[in-house]
Amino acid sequence: MLNKRRFAIVSSIGISALLTGCATNAPQDTWQPKGPNSKLIDDLQQPVFAVAGVIGLIVAVAVTYTIIKYRDRGQPIPEQIHGKPALEITLTIIPALILAVVAVFTFGAIFKLAKTDDTEMIINVTGQQWWWEYDYPVQNEYGITQPIITSGQLVMPVGTKVLLRETSRDVIHSYWIPALNGKRDAVPGRVHTLRLEADEPGIYAGQCTEFCGLSHANMRMEAVALSKEDFAKWVANQQAPYVSPAAGTLAKQGEEVFLNQCVRCHQVNGLTRADGTPAIAAPDENVWSGAAPNLSYFMTRNTFAGAMFDLLSKQCRDEVWNAPSDKIGAKYLEGVTEDCLNQKDLRAWLRNAPEVKPMYANPENLAVSNGKYRGMPYLALSEDDISKLVAYLITLK
Amino acid sequence: MAIIERPTPVAPVVVTPTETYGLLKRPVSSTGWRSWVFTVDHKKLGIMYAVTAMFFFIVGGIEALLIRLQLAAPNGKVLNADLYNQMFTMHATTMVFLFVMPMAAGFANYFVPLQIGARDVAFPRLNAFGFWALLFGGIFLNLAWFLGGAADGGWFMYAPNSGPVFSPSNGVDFWALGLQIAGIASLTGAINLIITVLNMRAPGMSLMKMPIFTWMITVVQFLLLFAVPVITVALFLLSFQRNFGARFFDVAAGADPLLWQHLFWIFGHPEVYILILPSFGIISEVLPVFSRKPLFGYPFVVFSGAAIGFVGWGVWAHHMFASGLGPVSVAVFSVATMAIAVPTGVKIINWTLTMWGGKLWFTTAMKFAIGLIVLFTVGGLSGVTHSIAPSDTQQTDTYYIVAHFHYVLFGGAVLGIFSGFYYWWPKVFGKMLNEKLGSWNFWLMIIGLNLTFGPMHILGLQGQPRRMYQWTEARAGEGFFNLAFWNLVASIGSFILTIGILFFLINVWVTSRNPQKAPLDPWNARSLEWMTSNPPKEHNFDVIPTVHHLDEFFHRKYEEDEATHTMKQITTAEELIAEQERNADKHIHMPSPSYWPIVLAFGLPVITFGLIYSYLIAVVGGVIVLFAAYGWSLESSTAPESDFENPNSSTELVKHG
Repeated sequence: MLNKRRFAIVSSIGISALLTGCATNAPQDTWQPKGPNSKLIDDLQQPVFAVAGVIGLIVAVAVTYTIIKYRDRGQPIPEQIHGKPALEITLTIIPALILAVVAVFTFGAIFKLAKTDDTEMIINVTGQQWWWEYDYPVQNEYGITQPIITSGQLVMPVGTKVLLRETSRDVIHSYWIPALNGKRDAVPGRVHTLRLEADEPGIYAGQCTEFCGLSHANMRMEAVALSKEDFAKWVANQQAPYVSPAAGTLAKQGEEVFLNQCVRCHQVNGLTRADGTPAIAAPDENVWSGAAPNLSYFMTRNTFAGAMFDLLSKQCRDEVWNAPSDKIGAKYLEGVTEDCLNQKDLRAWLRNAPEVKPMYANPENLAVSNGKYRGMPYLALSEDDISKLVAYLITLK
Repeated sequence: MAIIERPTPVAPVVVTPTETYGLLKRPVSSTGWRSWVFTVDHKKLGIMYAVTAMFFFIVGGIEALLIRLQLAAPNGKVLNADLYNQMFTMHATTMVFLFVMPMAAGFANYFVPLQIGARDVAFPRLNAFGFWALLFGGIFLNLAWFLGGAADGGWFMYAPNSGPVFSPSNGVDFWALGLQIAGIASLTGAINLIITVLNMRAPGMSLMKMPIFTWMITVVQFLLLFAVPVITVALFLLSFQRNFGARFFDVAAGADPLLWQHLFWIFGHPEVYILILPSFGIISEVLPVFSRKPLFGYPFVVFSGAAIGFVGWGVWAHHMFASGLGPVSVAVFSVATMAIAVPTGVKIINWTLTMWGGKLWFTTAMKFAIGLIVLFTVGGLSGVTHSIAPSDTQQTDTYYIVAHFHYVLFGGAVLGIFSGFYYWWPKVFGKMLNEKLGSWNFWLMIIGLNLTFGPMHILGLQGQPRRMYQWTEARAGEGFFNLAFWNLVASIGSFILTIGILFFLINVWVTSRNPQKAPLDPWNARSLEWMTSNPPKEHNFDVIPTVHHLDEFFHRKYEEDEATHTMKQITTAEELIAEQERNADKHIHMPSPSYWPIVLAFGLPVITFGLIYSYLIAVVGGVIVLFAAYGWSLESSTAPESDFENPNSSTELVKHG
């Protein structure tokens, strides 16, 4: 009875684990590598998991067999054997040898994953509570003739060895796109590198994995791999000149609201004030980390607020995510159209950001941070202003 | 020190006290609450440690249940983000520092002196002080819940997230200072037990004839002795950073936040072995008793324990594989981590071979021990997958890690502790825990813990990170067996696990109301603690035994048949103990109760409370500590007039105030 039940438990866990491996399609599955770096890891770990499973099974069977065979059936008290050193030494050496073999392959993988001399493209990634900023330094071979600063979604070309240079502006975060590579911490004061390369165009989900405070759970990211042609289009668009909304439109009024309120922290490249001076954001005066997302070409992204919310409505989002590999680029480059905009979440965010995302944004509790916020505060915008802002934001493409 | 006098030809003299010693008269009660509060008896303190640990186990368990309730469904609303962060921080802190460590200290306190044939520990008052410091430290830590919120930075408390800007409540201050107090308790306990084991073993008990539980406890005390100072330093840096504007982890001042991680894990990894080795010791006692065979390969188990103790210092950075150490460090720590799997595997093999060829008796204690072998193996093997550093960069900070260390700590440490409960209950309380309820207790816990922690392997490998106050369906995947399903299973499992543990509490209640006394040697046990009455007399042994064998008690009861090599019984426990009583030592001085340990320990949280709120209070606490230390130093450990006259007629000391 005792043994059967334990066996049933062990085997049911084993079987259910196998079942789920096939049954679901979780966006952050670590066993579904989509690039050479994650494949390297997967090729290393699959045999280890298999060997570990076999050893686990051997132990379970050995214990089960022992407790069945030697249960008390009235046999006399056995001889008091204190051990068999030869047997024990053998049983010590065998696992040591197995591990030595594993160690050799592990060493190889560690050094391959640390290589940086074959890099084809560099993207600087900066973490802060609770979003990621991506900064593309000038790289003429990709058409990046002026730095591109974006957030929420990392856009990269397929088949290209991208090197992320990670750091942080406040606490430690960790960058993790499981389909493309393992995680690497973004530590303030240090620059850590992480290789990323995607085989196929697609959107790969990730999540901050170093505990970073209140909204750690809401600090997500997505890596968007585009074909080289699509990536070039994306780059070109990110460097397009700013177009101010036509006078008299709701969007134009929204631009005024933006200039009054949002530009204190959020930069929109090319935006000018009524007197023609450039509007320069100064997040360092208002936010502890000293940064707020750059909102230029905002509607080319699919997410906002640290990728916590979708900019696309559910249906439109599914259309992009479920698009076949050869279509996904075109679909993604469409950006957010008026019909596809997720008005509900965007308006809720503008109405009262700390209510929908936990942040240290209560003005009464900012003494410790010298009056600076962490995250977007409550701005007391009127519904009118919110409508104007939404109309304006939809023009940022 | 516990002064043990050998029988002397001088006739005993009863002295009536006419003078007081030190600053206060000695407490005299041998019954009632005073006999507990001022006791220095290692057995009473052992029970007090265990009761305290059990209380915090329930507290930590409720925290765990709230966490699982929150995560049962997507976008959980049971707790808000702030409370959730406090909850998982305090769950881990409570379970590690206030449950498993004090529970092990309880077992060690009670059984180490008994196993080595001693009458108390080396420094009985220090022992009492250690207990009170732990209790007050634990209460102090949890006070934060009622004073603006508990610590919210995770039990690892990484800088800079632990700094005043990122964690503005006083929770982290309470945490850092409370752990300092608990650390003082651990250090005094470690020093005390090491000296006890090295100096107070019964005649003939060489180190390699020492019971394996005592061996593992000794290794743990050495680990504590070297590990606790590291966390003490780290906590001081943290407290100075938060309260006095120091900038040890401040990047702007040129510091590196990884300094904290190194300090924390240099303590934190040996800590893992501090948590697990006592349970290894317990089941290494239980398995031979219920297999009717000696522990297979005793020297291998001893040396593998010691090897774990050494190599355990060289693996700390495997907690930091993703923190950007560089490939050389990662490779070194990766291979060191693989290396530590070998001595751990040795233990599994030895336990299995202990049962091999035995005459197995499946009591509840034995079931928990077997459960440990199987479930700890699961945790050990998932641990090996982490040692593959590249693979670990996928797994670290996901639920896979949560699954791993719960198999190690629940499947290992906690099952070992429960095995110890059932095994030693008759020794401590003179009554047998109910085996039928024990069976329910065991099976519900096994099912519950596999349902709770088993699915976490899947959750982690499919990408659910830890420490998230909510999870979203957008990342849960498709199909029936998606992450939502496994989160729900884990939450249901946690309630089955709770019911299993409730059966233990019910069992304790039922047993306490059962008038039936336990037999003297219910399990036909092997080591010296069973060669005492149930429960043991205050002075443990009427005669200090002279040891000839590893399993001394067993070899006094049994003799090997020369021809067949089977064992045949030559005497019973009852006869052995009756013989002891007949030859009882004539003159036994036991250490006397004292007020000072609890007073001194009480001064510590007053100081730390003052450091947070008002230095004036801290000064008051300092005065209490100084006053108590002064009184303590004037007091002799054994009141000269308290003399133990006749062990046959009474188990009470003759005491005077």
